Amino acid sequence: MNRLLRKPSRSGLREAPGKFEKFGLVENPFPSEPVVNKDSTDRRINGDIYEIEIRRKEYEQIERNFLKQPQLDPNHLRLGFIIDTSYIGRGNGKSAFLINLQNGINEEYCLDISDGENKCFAVYVTPEPGGRTKTFPSFVDLIFESIVRSNLLDISVAILLIDAIREVYPNIELDDDEDLLIENLSSRAWYSTKEMDLSRLFTSIYANEFLQDLPPEFPLFLGRGSLLIDLVKSAHFKSYYAQLRKGKDRLEFVFSHLIRLFQAAGFNGAYLLVDDFERIPTFQSARQKTDFALELRSCLFDGLYLNSRLGFYNFFLVLHAGVPRMIAEAWQESGMENRCPISPSVESRHIIPFEKLSKDHASLLLQTYLAAYKIEGSGSNQLFPFTTEAVSAIGESSEYNAAKILKTSYDLLEQAAIEDGVVEISESFVDENRGRHETAADKAVRTIDNAPAMDLLKKAQE
Amino acid sequence: MARQRGNLQDIWSAFMNGPKLRTTRSRYGPDCRCPTPSVQQWQVTYGQPGMYHRLGVHLMRNNSSKPIHSVRRFYFLEYFYILLKSVEKYKDKNKVFDSFKILKKQHRLGESKYKSLVVEDENLSKTQLDRYRYTFEQVIDEAKDYRLVREPALGKLALGEPGRRLLRRYEENGLLEFNQSLCKLMESKYEAFRYIIELLYKMNESKSGLIFFPVYSPRQLGFDRSQIRTTADITDYAARLVTQLEADIQKYLGQEKYLGKENAKILAKLIESGLLKKERKSEFSQEKYNVIIKRFRDFWITYFLQDVYSYKYSLTSFDIWTYRAKQIGIIQATEFFPNFYGRIIYPTSVVVESTSSTDFKSLYRYPDGKRLYAHEPNVEQNQDKFIDCLVNGYFDLRGRYMSYFINLSALRELVCYNMKISEHFFERFLEHVYRLNLAGELKIGISLEVDRLPEETTAMYLKQEPVTIDGRKRNIIAIDVTKDRLHEPTIEKALTLWTA
Repeated sequence: MNRLLRKPSRSGLREAPGKFEKFGLVENPFPSEPVVNKDSTDRRINGDIYEIEIRRKEYEQIERNFLKQPQLDPNHLRLGFIIDTSYIGRGNGKSAFLINLQNGINEEYCLDISDGENKCFAVYVTPEPGGRTKTFPSFVDLIFESIVRSNLLDISVAILLIDAIREVYPNIELDDDEDLLIENLSSRAWYSTKEMDLSRLFTSIYANEFLQDLPPEFPLFLGRGSLLIDLVKSAHFKSYYAQLRKGKDRLEFVFSHLIRLFQAAGFNGAYLLVDDFERIPTFQSARQKTDFALELRSCLFDGLYLNSRLGFYNFFLVLHAGVPRMIAEAWQESGMENRCPISPSVESRHIIPFEKLSKDHASLLLQTYLAAYKIEGSGSNQLFPFTTEAVSAIGESSEYNAAKILKTSYDLLEQAAIEDGVVEISESFVDENRGRHETAADKAVRTIDNAPAMDLLKKAQE
Repeated sequence: MARQRGNLQDIWSAFMNGPKLRTTRSRYGPDCRCPTPSVQQWQVTYGQPGMYHRLGVHLMRNNSSKPIHSVRRFYFLEYFYILLKSVEKYKDKNKVFDSFKILKKQHRLGESKYKSLVVEDENLSKTQLDRYRYTFEQVIDEAKDYRLVREPALGKLALGEPGRRLLRRYEENGLLEFNQSLCKLMESKYEAFRYIIELLYKMNESKSGLIFFPVYSPRQLGFDRSQIRTTADITDYAARLVTQLEADIQKYLGQEKYLGKENAKILAKLIESGLLKKERKSEFSQEKYNVIIKRFRDFWITYFLQDVYSYKYSLTSFDIWTYRAKQIGIIQATEFFPNFYGRIIYPTSVVVESTSSTDFKSLYRYPDGKRLYAHEPNVEQNQDKFIDCLVNGYFDLRGRYMSYFINLSALRELVCYNMKISEHFFERFLEHVYRLNLAGELKIGISLEVDRLPEETTAMYLKQEPVTIDGRKRNIIAIDVTKDRLHEPTIEKALTLWTA
C-alpha cells in the first residue's frame, strides 16, 4: 500500500499531561542558569519575576533618602552605596533589585513616588568584566551608552515635540498609546498627514529656556538655519558623541549639555544605577583610582559642570563587601571621603546595606516564581509542590543565596517531574536528591582522590 | 579585655586536638597544648629516662644528635628572627624578653595573619606572661643549640656569628631564605624533615606522598546534634564513622582495614572515663557533647598517624615539624582542600642524591650524600603549566551552581597540589601571571578581588594564610577564557567536565 495511506498499528495519543502539570505548573518556573540578563525575553532571568518584599528594607531606605527628597534642594544626596554584607555576595539578587528599581522609577518617572516633586529617570549602567573601564572618561562613555540604550534621548526629543505641538497646533489630537506616539513623532510622514510644519515646531522647541546656553553644534540644533529640518534621533547624538574628543569635551557634553536637554524635556534629575562597580577599581592602579575619584568628585560636587552645580545625576554604586576597602585610600586622597564617606563609623543615609536572605525570604522567593507559572485554579497552596520544611532545607543547603536557591529548586523540580509517584517535594526528597546531586557534582568537581598531581620524585629523577 | 580565642598555634593544632582542650600546660609548657591522648602518648613515647631502650624504640636517627620528638615546642620559625633581632639590640635577658614580646605582636606570631585574635590589655596577665616566657625560653634553647645566640653570663645574651649571618639573611633575602637557612641547622641536628618526607613517600607511593587525616563530625555524617542524646546514639555515630573511615582508607590508600576493634576501644574508653554510661538508652550530659566528639577525633587521628602511617613519635612533634616544613616550603599541609573533610599533607620536596632538573633547589646535604631539594619551579618557564592548572582548577571549583567568582584559597589548594608547590610559590606564580594579565599579555583574563575579607567573617577563615598579590590580600578570583583558547585540549577538557 502507498506509504501515504498506511497507518501505524496504534494511533498516537490524543492527549498527554504536561511535564509539570501534576504540580499545577505550566513549566518549570525556576531558571536553569540563575544569572540576570535584563535583555533576555525569558521572564525567569530578566528580572521580571521579582518579589519586592524580599528587598523591602533596602527599597524603603532608597525611597526615603533619595527618591522622595526634592531634587531642587541642592543639598540632596547625590551618591549612594548599595553594599553587600555577605561574603561572595554574587547571586544575592542585587542586579535583579537594580533592574526593578530602574523599572519602578521609570514607570512614572518617579512622579508617583515623590508625590509630584521629582520627575527623574533611571539608567542601569554596568562596566564590562574584562577591565576595559579603567578611567573616568571611559566610565562616562558607558554612562552615555546606557542613556542611549534606555531610549531617553528619543523620549526627551519626543517630549519636546509634544510640548511644541501643543503650543503651535493645540487642536491636534495625540495618540494615547505612548509607543505609537513616539514612533509617529519620529516619522516625517506623520507630520505631513497631520499638516504640521516641522520648522514651526522646532522654532518653538529652540525657544525653550533651558536650551539657550547650549553650543550651536549640539545635535538638537541639527536643522536650525537649513530649509529642510531633520528629525533628531538618538543616532545623531551617538555620532556627535563619537566625534567629540575623549575626556573634557565628552564630560562637558554628558555633565552639562545633556542635562539641559533633559531639563528642557521636564526632567529635574536622574538616577544612574551602577552595577558591579568593583569591576572598575579591580583593574586600576592606585594612581588611576585616585584620579577616578577626583574626577567623580569634580563631576558630582565641585567642578564647573552643570551637574556639580545642580546635582542632576544621582549615582548608586553597587559594591561587593570588601570593595570599600579597595577604594578607601583613593577616596581619602581625593577628598571624596569628606563629601560622601565610603566607610563611615556611624550609620549613614547614603549607605544601603544589602543583607543576606532569611528563611522567610527563601519561601517568598519560591512562591513568587511558582505563582508566575501556576495553572489557573490549581489550588491555593502557594508553595505547592514544595513543603515548608523542604524550603528550609533548600535554603540552608544553598546558604540562603538567591541564585543557588533558584538553581536547586530548578533541579529538584526537574527530578520530581520525571519520578513517578512524587506528588510533592518534601524535606526527605530534598535530602535524597541533594545527595544525588552532590555525587553528580563530585564527578565534575575533583576530589583529592582524582585531582591531578605531579609526581615529584619522578620529576627529580628525570 | 581578656583573651578571646586561642592563638594560631592552638588553631593549627585544633585539627588534631579539637576545640577547647583541657590542657596540661604546667607540664608541657604554656605555649603548647597537649590533648589527653597525646599525654598518654607522651608517656609512652617519652616516659622515664632510659625507658626508650627498654621499649626498643629508636628515637635517634642516623648520626643526628637530637631525637625528633625533642623538638622545642613552638611552630613559627620567625620566632628565631625576633629573638635575634632583640638580642642584637639588648644584652640583658629581661630587656630582650620585653623586645621579644613587642616583636611577637608586630609580626603577629601566634596570631592569624588576618587580624589579631587576642584583644589584649596593655598589661599582660600572669598566665599570658608565663606563656610568652615559656615560648621565649624554648626559642632561646633551640637558638643556643644552633649557636645562634650564647649566654656569656647569667641573665645576659649575645649573638653568635651564625646568628648574625642569619639575621642578615632575613634582612637581605626575606623570610623564605631565612627559613631555609634554618632548615639546614635543624636538619643537621634532627633530620626530622627527611624522616617525615621519606615516610610520606613510603606511605603513599601511588599518590606521591599524599597522606590524609579524615575528620567527620556527626553533622557531616548526616546526624542532627539534637538527636544525639544517648549512648546508643553515640554508638550509631561511631559505627557510621568507622564505615566511612574504612571506605576512605580503601579509596585513598588502597588498603583494607577493619576498624571494629579500634572502635570498641574508643567506646570503652569513653565509658571508662564516665563520659558515656554503659546502658545504651541512658542519656549523657549534653555539656559533654563536644568533649565526646573531640575524643573521637583525637583517637582516630592518632590511629591514622601511628597505625596507618607508622609515624613513631608523638602527634605534637609531627604537628610542629610539619608546620615548620610548611614555612620552609618542603611540605604542604592543609585543612581546606576542597571536597575533603580533614587534613591532607604531602611533600613539595624530595630527598634524592641529585637531580638534573633546574626546578629544584638544594637545601641540605646529608652525611650519606643524599640531598633535600625543595620544589621551586622557575616562574617564567612554568608559566603555561601554572595557567593550565589555574584554569582547570577554576572550572572544577566553579561547578554548576557557582558564580564567576570563586574562593581564591580553595583554588590555591588545587593548584599547589597539582604542581606540588608551596603556598609561597603559588603567590609568586599568581603575581607573575596577574601582572601579565594586566599588561594584556595573556589569553585569559584574571580578575582578583577583595570581597569581604575573612577577618570580617567566620573564625574558619582565620586559620588560612591570606593570598597576597601586589601587596594586597585577595580572596576571590574570576577567570575569563577567551575564545581562541577555548579549543586548547586542556581547557576544552576542563570545560567539558564543567558542563557535564
